Order: sequence, then C-alpha cells, then structure tokens
Amino acid sequence: MNTIAENIADFLKEYPPFDNLTFQELSAIATNIRVLNLEKHEILFQIDDKLHDCFYVVASGIIHLSVIADAEETLLNKCHAGDILGLRPFFAKNNYMMTAKAREESIVYAIPIATFRPFVANNPNVLNFLLESFATNTWNPKDKENLKGKLVSDNMVYIDQKSEMQYFQSLSYNRQPLIATINDTAKDIALRMTENLSTSAVICDNQLPIGILTHTDLCSKIATGLFPLTVAVKSIMSSPVVTVIENVSLAEAQLLMLRNSVTHLCVTSDGTDKSPVKGIISEHDLIIAQANNPGVLIKEIKRSSTPKDLKLLRDRLTELIQNSIYKNIPLSNINNIASEINSAILKRAVELSILDLGSPPVRFAWLSIGSQGRKEQLLLTDQDSILIFEDVSPDKYRDVRDYFLKLGKRTTATLEKVGYELCPNGHMASNMLWCKSLTDWVKQYDSWMNTPGENSNDLSSIFFDLDLVFGEKKIFEAIENVIQKDLENNSLFFDFLGNDALRKNSPLTFFKKFALEEEGPNKNKFDIKTRALMPLIDGARLFALHFKIKGLNNTYLRFKQLAIIDSKNSDVYINCAEAFLVISKFRVNEGLKNENSGQYINMSELTKLDKEKLKNALAPMKELEELIKTNFKLTQFS
Amino acid sequence: MLDWLKNINKEYPDFWKTYLSKFEQKSNRYVVFTTETSGLNPDHDIILSIGSFAIVDNKILIGDSFESVLLQYKYFHDNGLSNEFILESKMKKLSEPEAIRLFIEYIGNAVLIGHHVDFDVDMINSALARLDCGRLKNEALDIDVMYRKLVDINDKQFSLDELSDIFKLPKTYRNSPSEDAYTIALLFLKLKKRLGIK
Repeated sequence: MNTIAENIADFLKEYPPFDNLTFQELSAIATNIRVLNLEKHEILFQIDDKLHDCFYVVASGIIHLSVIADAEETLLNKCHAGDILGLRPFFAKNNYMMTAKAREESIVYAIPIATFRPFVANNPNVLNFLLESFATNTWNPKDKENLKGKLVSDNMVYIDQKSEMQYFQSLSYNRQPLIATINDTAKDIALRMTENLSTSAVICDNQLPIGILTHTDLCSKIATGLFPLTVAVKSIMSSPVVTVIENVSLAEAQLLMLRNSVTHLCVTSDGTDKSPVKGIISEHDLIIAQANNPGVLIKEIKRSSTPKDLKLLRDRLTELIQNSIYKNIPLSNINNIASEINSAILKRAVELSILDLGSPPVRFAWLSIGSQGRKEQLLLTDQDSILIFEDVSPDKYRDVRDYFLKLGKRTTATLEKVGYELCPNGHMASNMLWCKSLTDWVKQYDSWMNTPGENSNDLSSIFFDLDLVFGEKKIFEAIENVIQKDLENNSLFFDFLGNDALRKNSPLTFFKKFALEEEGPNKNKFDIKTRALMPLIDGARLFALHFKIKGLNNTYLRFKQLAIIDSKNSDVYINCAEAFLVISKFRVNEGLKNENSGQYINMSELTKLDKEKLKNALAPMKELEELIKTNFKLTQFS
Repeated sequence: MLDWLKNINKEYPDFWKTYLSKFEQKSNRYVVFTTETSGLNPDHDIILSIGSFAIVDNKILIGDSFESVLLQYKYFHDNGLSNEFILESKMKKLSEPEAIRLFIEYIGNAVLIGHHVDFDVDMINSALARLDCGRLKNEALDIDVMYRKLVDINDKQFSLDELSDIFKLPKTYRNSPSEDAYTIALLFLKLKKRLGIK
C-alpha cells in the first residue's frame, strides 16, 4: 500500500471520468502516475511535438492550451485542477495540435495511456465520457456545461473555423413542447403558452401532430376578433405542420422556415407527420444557435428561471467581453453592452425573488450602487445595492420591511450563485441598514450630506453612483432630487468628498516608479484599482456632483460631459477620460487573464511598452488633483 | 587498532556486497527519503518508519516507492512506550534488519535527497552498523542547503513547513514519512530547475 497513491486516488475520484472508477482501480492507476512540476511559462507539450505516452491531469496551478496562427497565440482553454489535457494520444496517432503551457507554477499528474486503457475498455461510462468530450467542438458554454464534466479535449476547434462550423452544427431545441388536443379552446391554450413561456403549442391526435398554434395564429385570428376566445383550436390552428427529422442542422432549419414561411418546425421521430412529436424548433432557437450576441443574451436572461441559467449567461458575457477586447472594440462600447447585460441579470434576479415571494406589498426601487451603478463593470466584482420602499403607515411598517429584507436576501443569494460575490462591507439591499423606506433614505442622505464627518463612518462615496435596476422610477427620482437639493451651497460636503478623493495613495513613487504593494499576498504587484482607477472615479463623481450633472454615472461619460460644461479645464477632463479607458483596459486584461477582479497587476509581466503606456495614463491624475484642490479650496488640508 | 584489521577481513552480508557493486555505474535516479525516528541521537535513537520515492527524468514515480513501519518491540518495551500507532498504521511493517535490507536494495546507487538529509543518513548508517555493514556510499543532496544556495542565505535553516510555505505547497496532508518524502520530492523538482541542475 502506498500512501501517496491513495492521496492521489482521493484527488482523482472527485473529477470525471475518474468518478466512474472504484477506489481500488484509482489506486492502481495512481501507482503508475508520474508527477511533474512545471515552472511558470514552462511548456508541457507543443504543436507538432511527438505524442507522449501519457495524458495529463492538472493537480494544481493553471495550464493554458493555445494554438499559434499567423505568429499570434490564441488561447483555446484554461485547465485548472482536475482538468484533463493531452488526450490526443488516446485516439490519434499524429502529433500534438496545440501547445500546453503553464500559466503559473503547476503540478501535473502524468497518467500512462497503457495503464489507463484497460479501465477505459472495461468501463463504458469512462469511454463514453472521453469520446463525447473528444467529439465536442463547440464554443457554446451552454454545451460545455451539458458535458457535465470539465474535460478539455485536444481537438477544440480554432476560433476562425467557428462561423462555418456553426452553420452545420446541430440545433438544441425544446424537447418538451406544449401539446394540446383538438378540442381545447384557444383561451386555454393561450393560458398554458403564457405559463410555459412558450411561443407555440402542437396540436396532437394520438401523439401525431395534426396542427400547430403559434403567436402568429393568436394574433391574426383571435386578437383581430375573427374568432371568439372560446373557439376550439381546430378552427384556428395552422395545418399541416412542417415537420423535420431530429438532428437537423442550423442551415437546413433556416431554409425550411424561409421556404414555408413559418416560425416553428415540429421535430418528429422519422421527420414526417405520421410519427410521434419529439420537439419544437422555434426561430428563437435559431437565433440562440448563432453565437453570443448581446441582444440574444438579454433575451435569454429574461427567460431564465434559475440562478444556474443566469450563471451560464454571465459566463457567456465574459466570453463576449473577452472576444470584444480581442477584436479591439472600443472599451466604452464594451462597457455599454456589458452594463446592459449586467443590468438584465440583476433585474432578472430580483424578478425571480418576487416570483418566489409573491408580489411586493408596496412600490419600491432596487438600485445598484458602486461600479454597476456607474455602468462600468466588466469583471465579476462584488455586489453593491440598496432598496428603497414606499412609506407606509407605522402599523404596517414591520411587515413591509420584513418582506423587502427577504427579497434582498433572496436576490443577493441568487446573485452570489451567479458569481457576484457578496459585498464585504455589507453594502447590499439584504442589509437592514440599506433596505428602508423613502423617508428614512431621505434622512440618511440629508445627514450624510449636511453633516458629513459627524456620523460618517458608514458614508461611502459609492452611494452617489446610483442606477435603477428594478421598480419605481419615481422613487429613484425622489432620491436623486434630494441629493441635488442637498448639493446647494454645501461646501462642507464637497470639502469632505474632495479630501476623500485626495487621500488615495499616489500611483508613482517620488522617483516616478510604480508604487507597488509592500506586503501581503499581492506583494510587488501594482494595485491598479485603488491607486489608478479610484482617484479618477472619485474625481469624476466629485465634479459631476459639483456641476450637477444628472443621469450620467459613467466615469468616462462624466469626464466627457465635464469637458463641455467646464470648458476652461476641458483638456484635463478629456485626458482623464482617455486615461480612464486605458487603465480600465489594463485591469480588464489582467482580470480576464487570471479570472479575478484584476485589481493587482503583476508589473514584471508587462512589456516595456505597456509599462510606458500605463505610466503615461497616470499623468493626467496629477492635473486632476490640482484641479480638485483649487476648485474646492482644499490646499489647507493637504 | 586491531579493529581496523578485523574490519578488512569481515564478511559483509550478501545484500551489502550487491549494493557496493552497483556503484560501478553512475545513476540517473534520485531517491527522496525521510525517516521518522525516536529522537535526534543516531547512537541511541532508532528509526520508526521510512518513506521514499524515486525521481527519474524530473518526474516523481509514484509506483517506484518504498515505505515501511519498523517494528521496534524491544525499544518500546525497554522504554515503556506504547506502540499503538505502529499497530494501527496501514503501512507495511517490517523488522529493522529486513526493512534496512530492502531499503538498501531499493535505493541502489541513486542520489539521495532529503531535508536535513545528513541526519537521516546517520540514522541509516547506525542501523547498518547493527547489521555489520559499512556506511552508505550514495551521494546525498539536501533541499534546505539547495534553497539557501538559491536565495543566498547562510545563517538560517528552513524547516520543511517553511519551505512548503515559500513554494506554496499544501501542508494539510503531511502526517507520514511518505507524505513528507513526497513534499520533499516536489520541492526538490522546483529547486533543481531553479538552480539549473541537470
């Protein structure tokens, strides 16, 4: 018995396909494992290398799989602990088709093919898993999820082949269509369609499709008054149905819809209407199949019914952002799209809670604050939100507040499942402090703004970046008005905010070197969020409040607007706006690379050119600082 | 003085002769090992267990390993200690002579790797002396020395836990000599590469 082999077997059994094997089998495999240590950037295998006699499982660290085309490296996949790579020798004889390179120091188990082969042969589940993964060449994360595991295969298609591949891919469609009988009334079916979020119902007789009722039919035949609501579906359904065989390709489905001018196809066992119904393909399914475009994502978000669905959609947003950055789409545009999609996710999360809890007792507003409130959240950061509900009579207050606290808790929990971490400072609507009535909120803002510093321990400037996510616009406007009103002749408040903005640490040292973290887990890294982005964000907010700019929360847009309003300083503002984009991009790249918030940049990984670029982007900050000092007469404090 | 003469003519056990003969060739194999002992004095203390792994071609071979609990009934009896942990251990149990013989056969002419390896070597040597054998002939490398060389520190020793911390290895599963040996093996691979040892 070998202690380490047992430890490794314990590790493997957590991951597919190893979870199909018994502990004894795993121990036997583990005994034959060879353990490798890869330094950062060390290559495990590369394109055209001869196949190794083993495949690999990541034990710790991250391995990147990439292909190189036109002298450019394209990342195909990231392998984390438990992921399998280098399976090629299992099925193919030719050389490796991609490069596996350690993104950080990693430990890898090499499992000899000869050892593993008998376990594959004797265990159909393992074999199926490998074949399925190997045969999958999809870029749709939803499909990846369907693979239930995280198996990474060597023959992942390369991005450029995507468009053609997709044309011939098979479609995923609704396999549980709404079925109705010929005697049901139009109203009954319409109710069921609404309930199921379905755009069609198949009318069956003995499981065979004899007709279909779609939105179009309801529109043209019922809504026009041609037939009464109670008419039997027989008279208004479209018949016969256009039927297709299973596994129809995207291209063919499109053609069939165009040729027959229909919006739905009915899938049957043998493709004719003489066999049982297996599913329904709608136009919607075709759109979904055609890549991640923002509109589709938003539509999907509105239809999703579980946190898990939302999480998948958020993953697709990440992919969308990554691709957009890769294609050099301007960051301000990406920001707009991403924040729209983020809003849709937040909104849907609130909606799902309401569906669970029942209708709210009074009107309310759910607001984003912080980065999402400014609509500049590209990476998955933590949640910041507040909730304001309408004033109610004192005897009802408790029940009403309890309902909204429940709503807050449920929603933040949903969002946590989607991947937005809970705010470490508790700035969330699930917190009793930040979930209260309009009157209480008015008092709160009054006290923050009129007597800043007195009870200001809980004053965070992010409370002045507000965006309505869900609920009554009027309540949101009421709060906006309070803020505007309190700004009048309020030099005390601007003193406070101004000093707060100036208090941030400077990004460069006295010798014009980057000020790196001196201790902690991020030692020797550059805190781009606190040192570079926050001063710009704070500055933009300060001036936006000062000049009473309403409705523009975005730091970039705020600076742009300031350049117009305060034209004598327009240079400073424009420089800051550009700098903000440049710095944001550094952060997003770092975040996408490391799958984190990108707050800390590892300077040693930047090229000399990038370092210069970043340093140049920091320059306008000094001018902004001066502008704050003179504008708000803060020199005496700093 | 006569002892020296006696030694010359002394007949070594067969396994030792085989061991000595292996050194005619140079090895490309490393053996990482660690011993668990009753104390720190090679003359009076004894080995309670051994854990070891082979490294060939920068790969730890999980199957190429040796681990054993040494049954030291007499020692425990004489010192009035409980030997429960030995009885409960799932590891293979051998008497000291047998364990040492198998260990010597296992390491062959490999380069030995350990953490503060001199002590482990001394312990093995004492056990060998009890079997009328000579001293270990293997080259030995110490990962603490390697690390100190890497960072150029001369005035401080690093414990295995400290090294694990520095190289961000998990410390959670280390409660047997094999697990220590595995950790040492990983550290050795990292250090070897950084020091550019072929």
